[in-house]
Amino acid sequence: MHALEVKNLTKRFGSLVAVDQASFEVPEGSIFGLIGRNGAGKTTTIRMMMGIYMPDEGEVNLRGVKVGQEFKNRVGYLPEERGLYKKMKVMDTLNYFAEIKGKSGRDVHKRANEYLKRFELYDRRLSKVEDLSKGNQQKLQFIATVLHDPDFVILDEPFSGLDPVNTNLLKDIILEMKERGKVIIFSTHLMDFAEKLCDHLAMIDHGKIILKGKLSEIKSRYAQKNVSLTYEGDISFLKGHPIIEKIENYGNTTGIRVKEPEQSQTVLKMLVERGIVIKKFDANDISLQEIFIELAGREVSGKEVHNA
Amino acid sequence: MLNNRIIAVFKREVKERVISKGFIIMTILLPVFMFGLIGIQVLLMKEDSTKFNVTVVSESNELTLKLENELRSTDAVKEKTLNLLFSTMNKDEFKEFLKSKKQELLDEKINGVLYVPESALKDKKIEYYSKTPQNRRLSEMMNRPINKVLIDTYFSNRALSVEELNFARQGIDVTGFKVSKEEGFTEEGYGSLVLTYLFTFLLYISLLMMGQMIMQSVIEEKSSRIVEVILSSVSSKELMIGKILGSGFTGLLQMAIWLSPVIMVASSTWIMLPPEVSISLSTFQIVYFLVNFFLGLIIFLGLFATVGAIFDNPQDAQSGLWPVMLLIIIPFFIAFSMIENPNSAIAKISSFVPFANIIVMPARMTIADVSIFQLLISLVVSILTLLAIFPLAGKIYRIGILRTGKKPKWSEVIKWLKYKY
Repeated sequence: MHALEVKNLTKRFGSLVAVDQASFEVPEGSIFGLIGRNGAGKTTTIRMMMGIYMPDEGEVNLRGVKVGQEFKNRVGYLPEERGLYKKMKVMDTLNYFAEIKGKSGRDVHKRANEYLKRFELYDRRLSKVEDLSKGNQQKLQFIATVLHDPDFVILDEPFSGLDPVNTNLLKDIILEMKERGKVIIFSTHLMDFAEKLCDHLAMIDHGKIILKGKLSEIKSRYAQKNVSLTYEGDISFLKGHPIIEKIENYGNTTGIRVKEPEQSQTVLKMLVERGIVIKKFDANDISLQEIFIELAGREVSGKEVHNA
Repeated sequence: MLNNRIIAVFKREVKERVISKGFIIMTILLPVFMFGLIGIQVLLMKEDSTKFNVTVVSESNELTLKLENELRSTDAVKEKTLNLLFSTMNKDEFKEFLKSKKQELLDEKINGVLYVPESALKDKKIEYYSKTPQNRRLSEMMNRPINKVLIDTYFSNRALSVEELNFARQGIDVTGFKVSKEEGFTEEGYGSLVLTYLFTFLLYISLLMMGQMIMQSVIEEKSSRIVEVILSSVSSKELMIGKILGSGFTGLLQMAIWLSPVIMVASSTWIMLPPEVSISLSTFQIVYFLVNFFLGLIIFLGLFATVGAIFDNPQDAQSGLWPVMLLIIIPFFIAFSMIENPNSAIAKISSFVPFANIIVMPARMTIADVSIFQLLISLVVSILTLLAIFPLAGKIYRIGILRTGKKPKWSEVIKWLKYKY
């Protein structure tokens, strides 16, 4: 059985259909990525899953039962736009967030201290939130999200606005939660992260789910006829070559699609013959970004993704 | 209805409010300010009772003696408030005397010189020389005895029976009695007037202050984006209830602190206060005031929180607050105007009109006869108001707190009511 099942979720804001009949399944123990461009409907979907928005249609089921307060208590949610009470002290903040999840007492206190020590915030536990640096506030926010030991962690664009140290920290938390059998759902428009972290995904565009499933299966389905290449030299001769369907430059790597699966070997041969320095040649490999662009259309500028 | 999440929100809210500087300052400063005002008045009254040095001059020894006898027997002289010197001199001598005393008069070493010429025995015109000739307290103290002397002297030269003389005197005493009756009346009303002012002011200040506080708090949650994190654990309804109850409890606590000196004074069988300002306040009235206040506070906190939810910065919220402000300010002025005419139709009606009744009814209760039945009706009106506005306020709140960006128009806000969120 799936841990979470999203069925025909629809949300309209006036005439705008923000989410349109979205359905996907989140398996037990998975890291699930909800990916799409900005404004595709990721946040609205997640808010409906969290019960923050009421869906116009559809429902979300937790192991077969419609989600409610019980689900909320078992979720650690980190919204894209996050904040803390500025005037509250660090320890009070953590206690409060645990309390509204129905957890209080010595256990919470102990866990809070462990996390604070681990994140090097222990000596700031009596400081006011506003006196912490932005990076430390983010750390505090992570702790607040997972302090009540949730079974589900839902993260909306978790990496936006994080410095590299905190990005790694959050990745560690995510992987650690997965090891402990928790379900992690996150949304992102950063395909790199999604590709590295998630094992299942749903791709959303203009409110509709355009692709979903296991990442490895999706990749192998789209990877045939594809070569992912990292090189030095001039490969412009490949352009317009009869066996090449298209070439896309993604900056570090170049995606080459051939017309027939076996032709990828021909491409390798040609590259070697031309004296191109090949750093990486990955046949039958495709980046999530390539899939995404192919499905969601060229209008998504690769630029934005690369810069991020 | 109350679950652990509401209680958690409630506790946080109370803690944040009660330890906030604004709350502590207002809780302490308001009574200090109120009692400061009373203190200043007492001080002014003391200033008023400083000693007066007055020289009384008449043109004949006989008259001077009579005046001296009469004036020396007044309370003011006995209490040494009034320090009198008596002297007899004719008009020319008096003019010289006045000249010689001019500097002392200007320095207020002598507060005044009263000149009772012989002619006063016919026309009752006397002269008073002073730096401040319009001192009412002095004339209150001196006019009556002087009048009496003049009357006695005037009639003693005629063949009048004692009865007739008494009759003539009585005329003056009747006037005096009338005045004292008038005084008695105002004395009686003064205490309840103080209460009317007090209740109206306390309601006004507390509703505005607690309202502003909850509005700022909602805006802060909205603009710091913390609200979405909270909504992942708590429903918007629970959040709103917790916040309003937290603020409401804090407001009630503050009001109890503010009222405690008044309750103490009222229950101490007016030993502490002079009769002019004695306050009669029954336990029922206090309980009614607090219940009415709590209901009103909850209603207005709901409105303020809703306005806070609509806007995402304090400036916009302040300018969007006017409908709520009107609901407080108009009843405030009605309550004040009622002091002049407690039985006016507006006062009566508005003490049953939703929102207005919260401020008007307690004021009316203190200065007019209001039956318990009417008071209860007013409470029922408040409860109905509460039940009517909260579903709407809750909906606007729910939609508003997740909205950021463009300042919404009122027409849009009304549209929100139709959304399914």
